[in-house]
Amino acid sequence: MSTRPRPPLMPPIVRRLVRGLGMPLGSVLLAFVLGGLIVAATGGNPFSAYAALVCGGFGIGCTQGENPALQISNTIVFVIPLITAGVAVALPFRAGLFNIGAEGQLLAGSIACTAVGIKFSSLPAPILLPMVLISGMVAGALWAGVAGVLKATIGAHEVVTTIMMNYIAQWLLRYLIIGGPLQLAPGTSKSSPIGPGARLATILPNDNSLIILGLPSSVFRVHTGLFIALAAAAVFAFLLWRTSLGYEIRAVGQSQKAARYAGVSVRRTIIVTMLIAGAFSGLAGAIEIAGVDHNLTDKYFSDTTGFDAIAVALLGLGSAVGIVLAAILFGALHAGGAVMQADANISGNLVFVLQALILFSIAANFVGAIRQRIPGLGRPTALPPEMPPAAPLMTEAAAPPAEA
Amino acid sequence: MVHKRFKFLGVAAVVLLMAMACGGNSGGGNTKQYKIGLVTDIGGLNDKSFNHLAFVGLEKAKTDFGIKDDVTESHSGNDYVPNLTSFAQKNYDLVIGVGFLMQEAMGTVSGRFPNIHFAIIDGAGTDDKGNDLKHANVQSLYFKEQDAGAMVGVIAGWLEKNSKAKKNKHVIGAVGGISIPPVNHYIAGYKWAATMEDPSIKVLVGYSNDFTDPAKCKGVAQSQINQNADVEFQVAGGCGLGVLQAAGQAGVYSIGVDADQKDADPSVIASALKKVDVATYTAIKNVVNGQFQGGALTFSIANAGAGYQVDNLSVPAELQTELNSVEAKIKAGTLTPPADIP
Repeated sequence: MSTRPRPPLMPPIVRRLVRGLGMPLGSVLLAFVLGGLIVAATGGNPFSAYAALVCGGFGIGCTQGENPALQISNTIVFVIPLITAGVAVALPFRAGLFNIGAEGQLLAGSIACTAVGIKFSSLPAPILLPMVLISGMVAGALWAGVAGVLKATIGAHEVVTTIMMNYIAQWLLRYLIIGGPLQLAPGTSKSSPIGPGARLATILPNDNSLIILGLPSSVFRVHTGLFIALAAAAVFAFLLWRTSLGYEIRAVGQSQKAARYAGVSVRRTIIVTMLIAGAFSGLAGAIEIAGVDHNLTDKYFSDTTGFDAIAVALLGLGSAVGIVLAAILFGALHAGGAVMQADANISGNLVFVLQALILFSIAANFVGAIRQRIPGLGRPTALPPEMPPAAPLMTEAAAPPAEA
Repeated sequence: MVHKRFKFLGVAAVVLLMAMACGGNSGGGNTKQYKIGLVTDIGGLNDKSFNHLAFVGLEKAKTDFGIKDDVTESHSGNDYVPNLTSFAQKNYDLVIGVGFLMQEAMGTVSGRFPNIHFAIIDGAGTDDKGNDLKHANVQSLYFKEQDAGAMVGVIAGWLEKNSKAKKNKHVIGAVGGISIPPVNHYIAGYKWAATMEDPSIKVLVGYSNDFTDPAKCKGVAQSQINQNADVEFQVAGGCGLGVLQAAGQAGVYSIGVDADQKDADPSVIASALKKVDVATYTAIKNVVNGQFQGGALTFSIANAGAGYQVDNLSVPAELQTELNSVEAKIKAGTLTPPADIP
């Protein structure tokens, strides 16, 4: 080793960026290579599969008559709830909490949004639209708050309680629209539609006779919820890095003991974190109702947005920009899967294989990150701030907060 | 910037024009190659039921008419609209949606593409209140499930009356998924025919409120078996596999639904068949022959679109005679199974 410090190869900002992007990009790349091998091993052509996937997700390089703008529009519709729910998973991550309950909170939000949107369906949009979105947020917050309070008071593990709350939400939804008070009519499995004032406008007019880019403009379903989702991501970043609450959340996530020593109320932080996270999830559910479906239907029985959001938050390394990028990837995979099946004759289930492989590679890197912390095994470097607190997730969060 | 944007629009326009050109005459020459798109519901192609049967019908049509067939599986309810739209905007000659769950999506998409022909198994194109929009470009492929339900009801009732079942306490059961018309039609025919065969019979009817999770149906079936039911009819898709298992474990008989479910469990003595393959094939045939018509097309015993299949049971001659007689009477219209549970 020379005594003179070597001049850095890259400016620090670039190096940070590369280090931050290396893990998720590597994970995605690895997943696609392995996925390609699986396709090839089962007799398919991975290149045509991925070409169709890119066409379906991003509208690039379509050869079979897909309308690029329509593909992009479809992707964005899937991306919107993923961003909002992704934030709801990422925020508790920062506090060392694992929110598996985004799905249940999302359902609670969609139920509340629908109930209010039906009950007050005659109100004008400027009053009703904020009402349905806020009621969705409140319902989601309460749903997650239960887990937060249980964690903070009796130490019930949030992984268990949020999973259980998912089931309660799913069955509550079933009851409400099959035989319950929200059911449209006997024999149906959906609710009445929400009032016109409760609906988020589509960006292009919802008009079957107006032709845009060769298609009726109503097929482009992108709605103004996109801006709400992006605002949610911005609020998340601001909250986390520019407010004292964000500092407390991060402090609790890094070390509950140190946070307590610094005068942070761990219990209060846990409860507040879960409330805010639930509000984001509930907002995602409300946006889906107000922007896409306009009523609760049986499609919510098979909805997995809240679970995909976990992968989005992990892949996005818990940062706002990362979540948006990861949501775009997952939304594109979702939209592209159908085109891949129709055009390349590769089962759309490959998309789930890819998602699982991405998660798997991230989880493997978690192990690497933890190993780095054990002296003698690797460089004793601290986790970069972009990383979600993996170690507390495995250890400290499992124990109830022992607050005096 | 401006150049780039124009370039993008130009490329998009060229791609679109090419697609339209191909769509109009993809085979080249005189014979047009028809393009048929099939969108499954969330059950997927390997559901051993509707989606699978629709695919069988599609494949048969491919062999017979040389069509270009493409399939897209839906993984969640979010996929119905984009999947139907995808085929429609590529100017397919017929876009088939499988299943009742897709009705609202079908109504939405068919309204956007009035020049594209659609067909939907077991439903119509509806608005968000569930009203049939009666779009002229949508053909509803309905089934008289009560016909198929009645045939297996004859088997169940006959076994009870002649003490050929397992417990012979004159109790049989039916487990529905969700209380929706197609499910209740099956149960109506089943109960009606069983009562016709054995007037002292008691038919237990339960719902799991689910079409996918076998555990939920298993619980409902077990409670019926505990009440002495010894023939269990499942009308709950993938969830209903739990009914067949519960019957097998309790040593009683079970009856499959929609497709032949002989292999699902040894307890399956018969299956009530909804011949989705016949319906799909017929819809495609009509398009190829230029005979597409909007509105309802109903499949029943009379046009070989519904029926039954005897599975793990050796049918006594008397029962077979009875089955043939009832089937003939339904075909002739002298017997009419009810659509609503009596």
